[in-house]
Amino acid sequence: MHLRRLWLTDYRGYENLDVTLPDGLTAVLGDNGEGKTNLVEALGWLSTLTSFRGAPNEALIRLGAESAVVRAEIDVDGRDVLLEAELPRQGRLRVQVNRQKLQRTRELLGVLRVSVFSPDDLDLIKGGPGERRRFLDETIVARHRKYDQVRTDVDKILKQRNALLKGSGGRMSDDVRYTLDVWDAKLSAAGEELVRVRLETLDLLVPELTTAYDQLARRPAEVTATYVAPWRDVGLAEALAASRKDDLRRGVTTVGPHRDDLALAIGGLPSRTHASQGEQRSLALSLRLGAHRLLAAESGVAPLLVLDDVFSELDVERSDALLAHLPPGQALLTSAIGLPPRADPDLVLRIHEHHLRADTAAAELDLRDAETMSDPDQVLPQPVDNPVDGERTAP
Amino acid sequence: MSGVYAGPVQDLIDELGRLPGVGPKSAQRIAFHLLKVEPADAARLAAAIIEVKERVAFCERCFNIAERGAECSICTDSRRETSMVCVVEEPRDIVAVERTQEFRGRYHVLQGAISPIDGIGPEQLKVRELLVRIEAEGIDEVILATNPNIEGEATATYLARLLSPLGISVTKIASGLPVGGDLEYADELTLGRALEGRRAVGE
Ligand SMILES: [Zn+2]
Repeated sequence: MHLRRLWLTDYRGYENLDVTLPDGLTAVLGDNGEGKTNLVEALGWLSTLTSFRGAPNEALIRLGAESAVVRAEIDVDGRDVLLEAELPRQGRLRVQVNRQKLQRTRELLGVLRVSVFSPDDLDLIKGGPGERRRFLDETIVARHRKYDQVRTDVDKILKQRNALLKGSGGRMSDDVRYTLDVWDAKLSAAGEELVRVRLETLDLLVPELTTAYDQLARRPAEVTATYVAPWRDVGLAEALAASRKDDLRRGVTTVGPHRDDLALAIGGLPSRTHASQGEQRSLALSLRLGAHRLLAAESGVAPLLVLDDVFSELDVERSDALLAHLPPGQALLTSAIGLPPRADPDLVLRIHEHHLRADTAAAELDLRDAETMSDPDQVLPQPVDNPVDGERTAP
Repeated sequence: MSGVYAGPVQDLIDELGRLPGVGPKSAQRIAFHLLKVEPADAARLAAAIIEVKERVAFCERCFNIAERGAECSICTDSRRETSMVCVVEEPRDIVAVERTQEFRGRYHVLQGAISPIDGIGPEQLKVRELLVRIEAEGIDEVILATNPNIEGEATATYLARLLSPLGISVTKIASGLPVGGDLEYADELTLGRALEGRRAVGE
């Protein structure tokens, strides 16, 4: 898969962007606040229809604009695919593939495949279990979009069950008991299925995680990722029955896949509490790279790898190790501090106030030299007035 | 949003905003449209609303749409089998099942699905009325045709458990329907096949 061209209209700070990307490595350089992370977010959003920063959809529409449009031309096994998503301030999201409107926006998931690493991913190590569950579930859905249904089913059933628990006022009437039976049956079926897929995915992920960590880390160490679900000894149905009284009293579901965790350890020690900052950063990046490797291996097609502001997190040694072991396929990285000596990007883009400009100068740059080394005549194609209806870009 | 416009206009916007699928923006747009239309056109709309409320209500037997104080056209149709009942969520779902021409029994409209988030439990649905009918009308087969989404599935499971001790046949229209979809939008062929392939509901 190769993302050839990306258009953004009224997406966050981008009024009009039209950028063509090479098959290999693209580096986007610029100060913070110029639009690097917004660009990364737009790529991820077109892939998953959610912001990896957890921003609500309205926040993605440029101030004063009626709708945001993200549009991409990708090459999938030599086949041209044009993706278009229009997010209006009022009304529903509209999604098109090759000009065909999709009945369900969910069908867009996974057409453009993107792995995003961002500095916030340190939360995968330092944050609560929710961060790690989200990472696992994102990986699951990226493996196959059919799993999105399992995940949303579990969420919906939990919301209904919790509403019932809360609405019961702590009393177990016949009505509550019978309907609780129904939700428990639904939750245990959907929950067991979700966890089965989580475990299957984890089994595939761990070897890739290990490889990624070995390539990055200064000292080789055994990395383990263990799924923690106390209820699995008895099964979810029985665990829900056992916790029913407690759940009723507290008005929430206290056991199930929404409370599970992924325990990460380096050399047998829990990484949240016992790993150094450097090890934690390496592990966070390795989780993303591991998932990326898994998705590439399983589908035979590498997703677009996007590394946002990765060098600010890593020392020179680890940065070089990362660059030396970049997985095959298309990649895009952003940096506010220039590029390490080992970097050899196919395209360097300078970003300033949400405008991108190609930079033909050598890759090894420091941002302070950016103004003198860049060629002001080397500009990207002019943005089209209205990319969605633009004649010149029709396939 | 409220109180921007004076008296009657704001009242109209508020009322329209209460309709399903009509947000504040649309309510405003419709209200201003109505301000511009010919008085006769507006009167026709008002009259249609009043007439439907005066003359049409829910069938006293199955809660389908019917003339006020009467049974619906399906319940009064003597050719329909009375021992077989298809349970649906809304009257509009009857239209979907009827289009398949596969079902010759009567219906029972629950008028919703179990959804604690919306404050809807079995008490708020026409469940008790269904039990009464099964007893009174000698119904021996119930087909559950709730929507294939979480709430519809939960409602079907609830009813299956409730009805199974009665010793009657309880089946559920089989999959083949798009998961997460509405019965209303299922095409005839799919729904027809689903009706043929209905199966007994277990746990
Ligand atoms: Zn009737």
